[in-house]
Amino acid sequence: MRLASLQRWMQAVVVHPGTTAEALRSREARAHLKPARLESVLLPSKTLSAAQRIAIYQEMYPLRMRDALASDYPGLEHFLGPRFWDFVTAYTKAHPSMGYTLNRLGDQVPAFLARQKALKPAGFLRDLARLELAITESFDSPQADLLSAEDLEAMAPARLGRARLLTAPSLRLVSLEWNAGAYLDTVRDEKHDHPRPRRSRSFTAVVRRNYSVYRFPLSEAAFLVLTDLQDGCSIASSVERAMGRRGSRRAAAEDFAGWFRTWTAEGVFSGIRRGRASAP
Amino acid sequence: MTTPPQGNRFGFKDLGIGIGLRTVHYPHILSTWPKIDWFEVLSENYLDTGGRPAWVLDQVAERYPVALHGVSMSIGSTDPLNREHLRKLKALADRTKAHWVSDHLCWTGVLGRNTHDLLPMPYTEEALAHTIRRAKQVSEILERPLVLENPSSYVEFKGSSMPEWVFLARLAEEADCGLLLDVNNVYVSSFNHRFDPVKYIDAIPADRVVQYHLAGHTNKGTHIIDTHSDHAIDEVWDLYALSCRRTGLVATLYEWDDDIPAFDVVVAEARKAEAFRKAVSAPDRRGPAPRRPAMSAL
Repeated sequence: MRLASLQRWMQAVVVHPGTTAEALRSREARAHLKPARLESVLLPSKTLSAAQRIAIYQEMYPLRMRDALASDYPGLEHFLGPRFWDFVTAYTKAHPSMGYTLNRLGDQVPAFLARQKALKPAGFLRDLARLELAITESFDSPQADLLSAEDLEAMAPARLGRARLLTAPSLRLVSLEWNAGAYLDTVRDEKHDHPRPRRSRSFTAVVRRNYSVYRFPLSEAAFLVLTDLQDGCSIASSVERAMGRRGSRRAAAEDFAGWFRTWTAEGVFSGIRRGRASAP
Repeated sequence: MTTPPQGNRFGFKDLGIGIGLRTVHYPHILSTWPKIDWFEVLSENYLDTGGRPAWVLDQVAERYPVALHGVSMSIGSTDPLNREHLRKLKALADRTKAHWVSDHLCWTGVLGRNTHDLLPMPYTEEALAHTIRRAKQVSEILERPLVLENPSSYVEFKGSSMPEWVFLARLAEEADCGLLLDVNNVYVSSFNHRFDPVKYIDAIPADRVVQYHLAGHTNKGTHIIDTHSDHAIDEVWDLYALSCRRTGLVATLYEWDDDIPAFDVVVAEARKAEAFRKAVSAPDRRGPAPRRPAMSAL
């Protein structure tokens, strides 16, 4: 068998989620080698048949995928319990690793869960996955110097309104419809006092400071202001838009000083791009 | 008195005795800057992060010699080389002033997919020519000689026309590669495939060996799995002693990747290599006599 064909056959067997016999009989494997001809490619040893030998690789594959996904999604693993295995199998079949690192294996988990009907409560699981993905993305994001309160205060008020605050590369803003954040808080809780999934709207900022990832809650109005700033709006237009919204989305003028002070201390901003001075 | 062999043909330094840089040991390393000769860094863990792992690596690379060791080059794959991966690998090697860059003689996937396993090559002329061509390309892209590690394996291909040690030696000579000789892998594969590990060691071009790996494994009775989860057994140390006599002093690293104990436990295991290294650097001094590993164990 030529090298390319051999590798395609072996990969088809190794990544197959069923038994080794099923893997050898799979359509992908049979395209290169009929199961009856296994020993024309692989030798048995004195102690193991050819099928038992390739089974060593086939059995290790799902363990490796499971470890990688559990590392990035501890909350999801905890909530699903034994069902996590089925999730890993289905997910890695739909989204196998295509890169040189396992760090990106779980990038499609929220989108994958959004398409699943069987795993419930679907909204809770999707929110939990979105939050956990935000945390891993923040963890691996590029390093940047952070804006200090002194940097902000040093800017002339006349220029401040037109300035654009650069948000830190680690900032992730997550709006949740379910209590996924509260659940994630308890995952390492030895008392196992985990909240039951329930609908609960909340807004969270995820940011990295001193190489550690933190989460802090936001009001809806603050969430929208930070979203505008992250999208590149100037401070003035963000404030203007926020004060023009209605209901819980609306910000009051007195909110901003406290918000900007807190966000700067939390490491939300990495710099400030100066605007032109306002006309007198 | 016999003169111990001197160095490798690439001029890569004998870095002494090192261990792998592992996340669980970060707090200990950062708080104590322990006495250890060097660290081996798992390349892929540091290629795409700007967070704490990258910061820790920079701190370590400022204070210790490092070498990069990868698991996803897939040198034997029939897929095209991943040039983005190689470009990032070179940048990481430059940034950390890595002494060399190694990966495994294996393939990890095809059709764009990565199984993240070190899958074995068939030892055929076709596979050899293919791997030589790619190893040369990689060395050009990295602008340094590629160093390849012998794998541990659990299957043998009927189509193989040469033993692994011949394949590896020819690959190293024809692609001008360095070798990372994992003596535990030699032992594991010799058990699984019932060959003489000493014959393997004797066939390796000694002047191409730039690094050793030592590790523990898990013996399942019918076969051995290369788990890196334990102390090395005596037979592996014996192989190391035998090989050191051929290569002279070469950078040596102890791998412990599963059920990782405290930093000092890993270092203590690694430092067992010191006695064998002393025997090589001063053959007349009393040191552990090299023994031929008991073939009955296989």
